[in-house]
Amino acid sequence: MMLDFLRIAVRGLLHRKKRSWLTIIGILIGITSVVALVSLGTSMQLAVRRSFEELGYDVMMILPGELGGGFGGPASLGASFEIDADALSEVEGVGEIGLMSYESLYVRAGENEGFLDTLGVSENIFSFFKVEMVAGRGFSPGERGAVVLGVEVAKELNLDVGDTLEIEDRPFAVVGIYSADSRLDEDAILIPLPDMQALLGTQGVSMVFVRAAPGYEVGKVATRLEEFLYESRGRRDLSVQTMEEVHEVVQRALGILGAFLGGIAGIALLVGGIGVMNTMYTAVLERTREIGVMKAVGARNSQIMLVFLLESGLMGLVGGAMGTGIGALLNFAAVTAAKAVLGARVLEYGISWWLVLGALGFSFLVGAFAGLLPARSAAKLDPVRALRYE
Amino acid sequence: MRNETIVELVDVWKVYRMGRRRRIEVEALRGVDLRVPRGEFLAVMGPSGSGKSTLLHIMGCLDRPTEGKVLFEGRDVSRLRPVALARIRNRRVGFVFQSFNLSPTLTALGNVELPMVFAGVPRRKRLARARELLARVGLRERERHLPSELSGGEQQRVAIARALANSPDLLLADEPTGNLDTETGRGVLSLLSEANGEGVTVAVVTHDPEVAAAAARKLRIRDGRIVGDDDA
Repeated sequence: MMLDFLRIAVRGLLHRKKRSWLTIIGILIGITSVVALVSLGTSMQLAVRRSFEELGYDVMMILPGELGGGFGGPASLGASFEIDADALSEVEGVGEIGLMSYESLYVRAGENEGFLDTLGVSENIFSFFKVEMVAGRGFSPGERGAVVLGVEVAKELNLDVGDTLEIEDRPFAVVGIYSADSRLDEDAILIPLPDMQALLGTQGVSMVFVRAAPGYEVGKVATRLEEFLYESRGRRDLSVQTMEEVHEVVQRALGILGAFLGGIAGIALLVGGIGVMNTMYTAVLERTREIGVMKAVGARNSQIMLVFLLESGLMGLVGGAMGTGIGALLNFAAVTAAKAVLGARVLEYGISWWLVLGALGFSFLVGAFAGLLPARSAAKLDPVRALRYE
Repeated sequence: MRNETIVELVDVWKVYRMGRRRRIEVEALRGVDLRVPRGEFLAVMGPSGSGKSTLLHIMGCLDRPTEGKVLFEGRDVSRLRPVALARIRNRRVGFVFQSFNLSPTLTALGNVELPMVFAGVPRRKRLARARELLARVGLRERERHLPSELSGGEQQRVAIARALANSPDLLLADEPTGNLDTETGRGVLSLLSEANGEGVTVAVVTHDPEVAAAAARKLRIRDGRIVGDDDA
């Protein structure tokens, strides 16, 4: 039964092929942008989740200021603070502690010179990050005057293991070169923390990484750490963030961004829907006589309405199917391009089944909904007048 | 027992309100009384604007009277809801129009199938019936053609096949030969007579003397009133 009405609807669409296609293109553009932008948001979220998973959820960060108040994160991120790492390791549940300090320093290697991001790190820092040594080694305990480079920066400065470079006019020997998942992380210059502190003339660090000892719950250790910091410092100038909290803040920000982009794409879809409505009104007008005939041969109002709703819904569905395909291709292209330019895992493919099915269902609904008023006006036509319509 | 009157009009008035704010009243029918016995071949004649088509529409439950009663097989249908009227049109009445009025998007076969689609007849049964009817009007080989690919006479024959699809009791034709040449018109007329011979009641609005001559009963209408009836 339904199939028969579907067949009649398809016939109607094919009869005015050009106009049907133009209308479908309107929906197509709307759905393409929705799918492309929503999947881009998903791509970013997946990539972020992945990098957090690699860092490990048993890791906490001690940062200056407060996190979670809003988008921007800690107001004083990057500010330097002094901390007693030995006292910190006495707190119950605290495992490994990694220290990091960062600053832009004047670097010279042969012909090349300029300010580059330099990290002063405790020698165990590589246990917190997923990096791979492609040449040489990491730092040995107590080592000074050594430098480990990301592959990008090594390439740029044309350095290899055994070469020397100058940081703030002090010589450092390249002992290792690492690669990371993202090219963004491959342009860092790492030196031992004591060297960094000597160069800067401070005892400060920018960030402390703490791993919960096995068997301890991260959240509880974080609370204990916060208490300890407050008691030992007398003020709450540092905050302890679990990876889960940081992840949540970032995900929330990305979620808002995704909704915002989706909303803009929704406007395109709305325009497409109005296109469907326009086409359907024209179709009803054009086919007034035919509607009269259908009524004369005994079509009920509901059956006529169904035929027109199927027509508009089909236009939505076809536009939606093609738009979903194109949107998915765009996502594929964007992610592939990002991987090629910025390295692996900056973005992940963001097309999911729920997005595909959701987009298809939604496009059919947009079409059917846009066809509602025209279909109603078709169904309500007076058969005698409709038959006389020229 | 089968009702021997298929349709009866009792003092039927039809008033159209037209123009801006619907202030202008046009009386298309003014107190029409008419009884059509089952199996009759009736010709309705009269000048244009006399109310012939309105009469046909009311007989076929396509329109409702402003006043008066319409008894279809003994049942008053003058105040029925649109859905009930649609059902009567679908199962009991067949319409044939001057300008054929085939659906341009459907093939000949699809057009003949249409009333059966709305009646919910299963596809297999529908196709068999539609092919049988197309064969009867001599268009079995043209079933895949769209109306735009058929001549006027062929289109009207498809329209008659469509009107007969659900085996109606009443076949109503509004100037069925009006757009056809004499020879083609004769073919259409003989199809109507054939249906009448099989027991279908036929009422034809016509200017065509040949069609009128074929009818057993002639009705003359002028200014919304019956002014001549062979049967009266």
